[in-house]
Amino acid sequence: MNRRTFVGAIGGGAVLGGAGCLTQDGDSDDADDGTLTVVTYESMIDEESAAGPWLKDAFEDEHPDVELEWELLPDQGINYYIERADQDMAIDADVYLGLNVDDLVSIDDNLADGGLFQALDGDRLDRADRVRSDLDMGDPHDRVLPYDTGYISLVYDETEVDEPETFDDLIDPEYENALLAQNAQRSDPGQAFLLWTIDAFGEDGYLDYWQDLDDNGIRILDDWTESYSGAYMEEERPMVVSYSTDQVFANEFGYDFARHQVAFLSDQGYANPEGMGIFDDATNADLAYDFFDFVLSNAAQAEIAQRNVQFPAVEDEYVDLDEEFDEYAHVPPETVSLGYDQLQGNLDRWVDDWAREFASQ
Amino acid sequence: MTDLRLEGVSKRYGTDTGGTTALRDVDLTVRDGEFFTLVGPSGCGKTTTLRTIAGFEEPTTGTVSFDGQPMAEVPPEERDVGVVFQSYGLFPHMSVAENVGYGLQFRDPPTGLTVDERVADLLELVDLEGMGERNPDQLSGGQQQRVALARALAPEPDLLLLDEPMSALDARLRESLRRQLTRIQSTLGVTTVYITHDQQEALAISDRLAVMSDGQVEQVATPQEIYREPKTRFVAEFIGENNVFDGTVLARDGDRAQVTVGETTLELTGVPDSTDRVSFCVRPATLSRTADTNRFSVAIETSEFRGETVRTYGQWNGMPIILQLTAVPEGDVTVGFDPDDAHVLDSV
Amino acid sequence: MSLSDRVTVDRSRLSAWLERHALQLTALVTAAILVVMLYVPVGVVFVNAVLEEGGLTLGHFADVLTDPFYFGAVADVFADPLAIGTHLGSLAAWLGAVSITLSLEYPLPGIGLPVPWLAVETPGVRTGLFGFTAYQAALSTVASVALGLPAAYVLANYEFYGRRTLRSLTILPFVLPGIMVAVGFYAMFGRGGTLNSILGVVGFGPFAFIETYPLAIVILAHAFYNAPLVARLTVAAWESVDVRTVETARSLGASKRRAFRDVVVPQLAPAVLTGALLTFIFTFMTFPIVLALGGLQLATVEVWIYDRIQRLEYAEAATLAILETILSLGLTYAYLRYESAQAGFSQAASRPAREPLYPDFRTALSPRRLAIFAYGIIALVVFVGPMVSLVIGSVTDGSGLTLRNYAFLLERQLEGASFQTLPLPAIRNSLLFGAATLVIAVPMGVVLSVLTVRAGRSGTVIDTLGMLPLAVSGVVFGIGLLQGLVFGISLPGGWRLQVTGAIAIVIAHAVAAYPFVTRNVSPLLANLDPAMVESARALGASRLRALLDIELPLVANGIVAGAAFAFAISIGEFSSTVILASGSESYTMPVAVERYLGRRSGPAIAMGTLLLIVTAASFVVIDRVGGRSEL
Repeated sequence: MNRRTFVGAIGGGAVLGGAGCLTQDGDSDDADDGTLTVVTYESMIDEESAAGPWLKDAFEDEHPDVELEWELLPDQGINYYIERADQDMAIDADVYLGLNVDDLVSIDDNLADGGLFQALDGDRLDRADRVRSDLDMGDPHDRVLPYDTGYISLVYDETEVDEPETFDDLIDPEYENALLAQNAQRSDPGQAFLLWTIDAFGEDGYLDYWQDLDDNGIRILDDWTESYSGAYMEEERPMVVSYSTDQVFANEFGYDFARHQVAFLSDQGYANPEGMGIFDDATNADLAYDFFDFVLSNAAQAEIAQRNVQFPAVEDEYVDLDEEFDEYAHVPPETVSLGYDQLQGNLDRWVDDWAREFASQ
Repeated sequence: MTDLRLEGVSKRYGTDTGGTTALRDVDLTVRDGEFFTLVGPSGCGKTTTLRTIAGFEEPTTGTVSFDGQPMAEVPPEERDVGVVFQSYGLFPHMSVAENVGYGLQFRDPPTGLTVDERVADLLELVDLEGMGERNPDQLSGGQQQRVALARALAPEPDLLLLDEPMSALDARLRESLRRQLTRIQSTLGVTTVYITHDQQEALAISDRLAVMSDGQVEQVATPQEIYREPKTRFVAEFIGENNVFDGTVLARDGDRAQVTVGETTLELTGVPDSTDRVSFCVRPATLSRTADTNRFSVAIETSEFRGETVRTYGQWNGMPIILQLTAVPEGDVTVGFDPDDAHVLDSV
Repeated sequence: MSLSDRVTVDRSRLSAWLERHALQLTALVTAAILVVMLYVPVGVVFVNAVLEEGGLTLGHFADVLTDPFYFGAVADVFADPLAIGTHLGSLAAWLGAVSITLSLEYPLPGIGLPVPWLAVETPGVRTGLFGFTAYQAALSTVASVALGLPAAYVLANYEFYGRRTLRSLTILPFVLPGIMVAVGFYAMFGRGGTLNSILGVVGFGPFAFIETYPLAIVILAHAFYNAPLVARLTVAAWESVDVRTVETARSLGASKRRAFRDVVVPQLAPAVLTGALLTFIFTFMTFPIVLALGGLQLATVEVWIYDRIQRLEYAEAATLAILETILSLGLTYAYLRYESAQAGFSQAASRPAREPLYPDFRTALSPRRLAIFAYGIIALVVFVGPMVSLVIGSVTDGSGLTLRNYAFLLERQLEGASFQTLPLPAIRNSLLFGAATLVIAVPMGVVLSVLTVRAGRSGTVIDTLGMLPLAVSGVVFGIGLLQGLVFGISLPGGWRLQVTGAIAIVIAHAVAAYPFVTRNVSPLLANLDPAMVESARALGASRLRALLDIELPLVANGIVAGAAFAFAISIGEFSSTVILASGSESYTMPVAVERYLGRRSGPAIAMGTLLLIVTAASFVVIDRVGGRSEL
């Protein structure tokens, strides 16, 4: 009988157990040597085709004495761990899977420089050199290793608008009241799109460009789900900031491809690589390195890409993807992304200035 | 049955500095089996006094005791009092019988009786036989009042407290209920404190009464004494119709004195020797056109015909005065009074 | 005396003592719960507003109050409060530039339906984030009352098939997570949505409802949540109207309309105003829904609080949140002063009889019935539409009907790994927590009512503070729970008090829910003749017995209404649940909805549908079993 059915069997009493507790510092039980605790975000574990369960099984098959334990990232995201570290509280997890470059910036803004995660020792990794160089997040403290990436692009309805080709097209009357985007304060693709415009127009020009977008009727909704599953799928508008893998879903669920065309502005896509890091407090750093090598293996890279509907982080020769995936997941001719150096000390200000321009007053 | 005693009871609401004072230093003794009435205008503190006796209010200072037992720490439910409120406070979700029987959950019925028997007895006592299954809202006001009384009496309280129980009823019903109440009270012999703002009712119903004004007890006495020998101007004016005058003592002869009121000199008895200023009252009925002493002329303003008598309002020495005549006067009238019919008040 | 005798005596003394002090004990437990689960978590965040490098400061308040972004034109006044002449001058100039015009407009795109349009042209005044937030909250309140009152009227006064069920189901909007409401609204009102499909059948449209009137749609979504609240509160009050008072007024010569205005309206007013107050407070602190439907252009203060928290700018977040709370509590206090002034002594003995809604065909065509019918259509569109569209969304994909989303739920239940979120435990936890919340929230709410209802001004103050759970930013409360309870509170000797898991969730739900019990019970309790309780006590009942025997049966309607809200609050609660449930198996249905949300919303929508069905079923079942009082 596994633990879950046991809990289910004894029912409510057990579920209601254990609330308030007093602990004394140093109480926290150190993890077994055989357990690797990996923090990750919800969709890695709970989404329909989530990669998490596959990763656990495959990794444990490769390392029979090891147990991989998934820990769901708390609602506050990286801030949860920043706060804990700030209050000198122990962090039980070993690995964080799903680290973005802005997380690193936030860590260094709030904790000691280079905090929370260990500097990675390249010599302890066999497959680190497989990672594409254009996905390097530029962390001066070498804390993160990318394992996949998405590209922010536009998805549009070709029956209503022509393919937009440049940023300037978006402020053309032809695209008036056509574009849906997301709030950069709250949304990853929203922030990526904002950073992309900063890359295109510079720190001094992006707000003017957004003013033009505003004049041309852009709508900035909360997050990706509202703008895509809500507004775009209900045909509110013919264009939305989304991912370049859009057609993978259209294909799987039988949606009309005319409404699922992918456009790369100026032949670019903004890369949002996701990385993994090892917590400073990790009790099982060796195992973590083993896990990283495993994640970068051919098989894992393909599974992660296809299950998460993202692109592998390794060069093409180190991964074999299904033809179907290749066909529908589009890679931009050129990738853009702002690295650690550019974001540090700027990101909060950029987003804040931008949001204040738009918000109701 | 119980002796009730209040000693130095004061009640303040709100803070020490602000707030209002509801009772000031009230002393009262109610004897075992007595029908005792608190009477006064609204806001005089009589209801607060009753609530303090029942335990719904804590006195700010002073003590309430039953049979010499101080009640300070005793909650209302342990005081063995029966209370009938102005609004009756019947439980609308219970039948009449359930209302009457409610208190018998907490105090056993008299020995030898079941709860149902006791309830039936009480309904009979208040002339509501057979009404037990009704709901309170199916009863008339007078019936509701009697249910409330039966409910209060069911657990055989040591003390019965009645807070203006008749005020919501019309005058005719009030009188018949009043008779019923005194009958029941004297049958049971329960010590009763009755509250009313109606001085006639107070006079009619009580063994003794306390007249209250502005949080203080003005006078405690039998109805006759209160009526005939009010101690203060307030009691004199509040109980029955009365004329109160102020005068200056000119000369004394034993307890007789010559007193001037404005330009008139009158003779009074019972004037204390300590003071030169006196206040005294003369009931309208004792001012007579045929009296041969203390005569003076009254300027008539209006008259009301009241059957046997005519109530006449006028002015004397610039003060209002009420007369009780036998016929409507024409022009000014001269009246007088016997010195023994005037009553000198304790205070000016 | 033998030992066992002594034990018996001690025990009966103990139980007498307990009975005598039961109310105080419950009040103490309530206070303790509030301290641990509310004041401490909120306090640890709020304190940031007045701290600056270890010292005390009012600088953060000064910064926020004088920032035109937050306070618009008023910020100048805060910045220089003594320059009265300047401020009056700019006010006069502004008033001089206001123009009012009356014209005919065609508000529905594509439909030539002219509507007289009163246009008030004001020169642009910068309202600031607070100004806009208050503006949309005021509009939402008006819309919620306007949509809620007719529902209350129909449910309280007419009898028709399914009335009780319908009444039970008015709770449903309450439990829907914000994201599901947004998705439901797009599915209903979007250009490709249900409403346009229906209009398309009769040859209209498609209309871009959301595009054309984003603010109106946001307000409608707020009404979707809050009109049922107004309706439920008002129905309860309407059924407590003593029909004899109406009859008295009629017998004194009042017309039906006049009797309604003079007798019924004053008895409904406290309930309607309670609903309006709660709606204003909720929509003032609205969060995901404005951005989801209206976009960043309609951002509210709460959006900024979230952003500041996320950027770990606690001082600014706390300052904004405190200002929100002050505003909410101020309104609450003003309302409660009004409510306590309204208390009269009436006992609802005879509730009004309901007339059949459609007794015969002739009556069915009367203007009143037609108006009800028209309202029914509006209600169908606004309330039923989004939910039904959601359900439809859960069984369709690009190629038409599909059961794949439910197949996912089933598969996850049967084959899910232990670290995954499973549907059945989520359902079970939700129901269990809901029931447990009732057990805690109802006594808490009732005790607060009993202690404050006749306690004068100090009672009003305590009652106001008791509404704190509704008046605190949800974002701040969440982060406070994390910092205060999940991380733990440092105690001397290196100890830490941590509160997480199922019991913590239940208590957090109870804290969020008890104000609904209080607000439903207090007005009824205040209307009870105090002579009833005092009679009972004089007859020998302890305060507790008087409460149980007399007051509670007479305010049962309010308790049941409050309990229904409490259960629904627990079922729908997301923000504190997700924090306290992290790392445990205590997740609930809304948490599962959120976790299933990925690049495809289908599985989450299916879970959301399950949430609706489970909630609807519980309310209908409880109503059927529950007897006299209606939910």
